Amino acid sequence: MEAVGSPQPVKRPARVLRCAPLSESAFEIELERPRDFSFEAGQSIRVYIGGEGRDYSLAGSPSAQTLLLVVRRIAGGAVSPALADAAPGSLFDFTGPHGVFTFRPSPRPVVLVATGIGIAPFLSMVRRGTVGFTLLHGARSADELFHRRELETAAARYVPCLSRQASPGCFDGRVTAWARDHLPPGTFDFYLCGGRQMARDMILLVDERFPGSRVYTEIFF
Amino acid sequence: MNVGTGDKGITSLLSGERVPKSHIRVEACGELDELASVLGALAASLSGGQEKARGEISWIQEQLLHIGAWVAGGSRAPSSEPVRVLEKAAEALERDLPPLQGFLLPGGHPSAAWAHVARTVCRRAERRAAAVPSPEVLPFLNRLSTYLYALARSCNRLNGVPETQWKP
Repeated sequence: MEAVGSPQPVKRPARVLRCAPLSESAFEIELERPRDFSFEAGQSIRVYIGGEGRDYSLAGSPSAQTLLLVVRRIAGGAVSPALADAAPGSLFDFTGPHGVFTFRPSPRPVVLVATGIGIAPFLSMVRRGTVGFTLLHGARSADELFHRRELETAAARYVPCLSRQASPGCFDGRVTAWARDHLPPGTFDFYLCGGRQMARDMILLVDERFPGSRVYTEIFF
Repeated sequence: MNVGTGDKGITSLLSGERVPKSHIRVEACGELDELASVLGALAASLSGGQEKARGEISWIQEQLLHIGAWVAGGSRAPSSEPVRVLEKAAEALERDLPPLQGFLLPGGHPSAAWAHVARTVCRRAERRAAAVPSPEVLPFLNRLSTYLYALARSCNRLNGVPETQWKP
């Protein structure tokens, strides 16, 4: 018999091109893209530092020359602090692409729901050309509505939702509260990316208020 | 990913659909999960010197995850290559076995007994999968039963346990 066994995901090096802050705790890091690496908007890579791996959604266009990540620095974290402090030219190993959180065209209206750095896969989808959706963009404060202008342009309806700090033009509350109080009855394709609690609350809301809808979920820890 | 929304008996498929946990796709996924678990018990019961079979079982468990994703409404159909690999694995086992003289009673060495349990769970998974419009997964499950039957016989032979023929 020929050898069987799935090959381990191949680790490959990526060189840091730039690292720039997005807010007090979040930053964007751009990596050199290996020539033979391709991905679909919504997929992620696993970045390794000292043997520890963490998954990050790719935020750039699949056709871009570089790889872009949106990362929140976790104090004491195994990977994000090293990424945050990475100087241009540093090398990191990564595997991927991983995941199936990709956009599936359908006749149903699309509602994207993101909290925090959960906006990353939706940025990739927008940069790939996805338009015409409703985006519930959740953050703690207005300065964490990353890439708001770009998203507003692509969305048919853009709803910034701030959970901790009121700001003019933004809904004062969580994305789930907006969906509960303002989304009209109907059957939608929901794409959820963010924390577990948001995903849980949204799915329960969908079951109760939007039966027949489809739900695609990507959890950020 | 479990986010704790299934307490009312509803779950998500990879297709995004929210369905009752009694849905045929959920049922088929459950059978595949059970099959992978029984294969784990089979692997744990193998004797020393059966590293090749242990590796094959691990590979099969991985293939079952791919199959399960497709049955659950995923977007990537399984390829036919694993079916061919499994066929060759079964043929390699059969080459070292005496010809069948009739029906065998499942059992013998514990590893052979587990292989038979896995084979019957595999057949059940195949029946459940046949109810789902995902016919791409059926050839692998059909070949897997053949492989497991050959592996059961191989386990008895390697451990010096005679096969028990059915005497009608």
